[in-house]
Amino acid sequence: MKTIPLEAFLVVSMILFGLGVVGIVARRNLITVLMSLELTLNAVNIALVGADHHLGAAEGQIFALFVIALAATEAAVGLGIIIAIFRLKRVDSTDEIREMRG
Amino acid sequence: MEWVVFTVLAVWLLVSAGGVLFAKHPVHVVLFFLSALLAMAALFLSLGAELLAGIQLLIYAAAIVVFYVLVITTVPWEKLKEFEGAYRRELLFGLPVALMAFGAFAYLIAKGEFAAPKGQVTDAVRELAKTLFTSYLFPFEVASLILLVAMIGAILLGRREG
Repeated sequence: MKTIPLEAFLVVSMILFGLGVVGIVARRNLITVLMSLELTLNAVNIALVGADHHLGAAEGQIFALFVIALAATEAAVGLGIIIAIFRLKRVDSTDEIREMRG
Repeated sequence: MEWVVFTVLAVWLLVSAGGVLFAKHPVHVVLFFLSALLAMAALFLSLGAELLAGIQLLIYAAAIVVFYVLVITTVPWEKLKEFEGAYRRELLFGLPVALMAFGAFAYLIAKGEFAAPKGQVTDAVRELAKTLFTSYLFPFEVASLILLVAMIGAILLGRREG
């Protein structure tokens, strides 16, 4: 498996991260925004595991484990917030939440 | 052979991510997300990270996706709007910034030097467990505390008032 260089994984990770950021910025639906955030976290995981495989170490996989735990946390709290927003305001789009806009 | 596997998985992953960005219906978005997660698990498996591939399947593709599906079925989105669309102005302004970031990353990847490999890991799971439960034991326990706090917070947030 030494034939694939680390650069290939980093490029895939970079493109996936960019797609996730575009989704966070450009989508309106709150659930889709949260899912794009998960995509960016996964992009970081790919870079970590690729570097891990390149270096022959185990730390990258451990960091990826922590990232997955944090993603689970973020999904639970984020979806709770989305349900609360929907119940209180009856909106599902990011541009309709504007109480804190200056 | 490795290149064929890698190319297929990478294309699958990026096409699924594009589907997450451009699908209109929330259920389709979740399905594309699930597809991207499966591709990522396969990528981990091809990298020799078996434990991480299993965890990706169990936690992401099962637990988190079920979360999302539950929320989508709980909230009656269809009554509100059929299509939510995207922000065109933000996309237009954000694209040059994203391209600049891409350029910087690409420069780093092309010009940077990677650290020298320490050597091949023969038993990845054994190595991972040994490092996780010795050097990273305290962060591991803190992660469990964070999960507990998140669970309590989600219950408090999702509770009906009054």
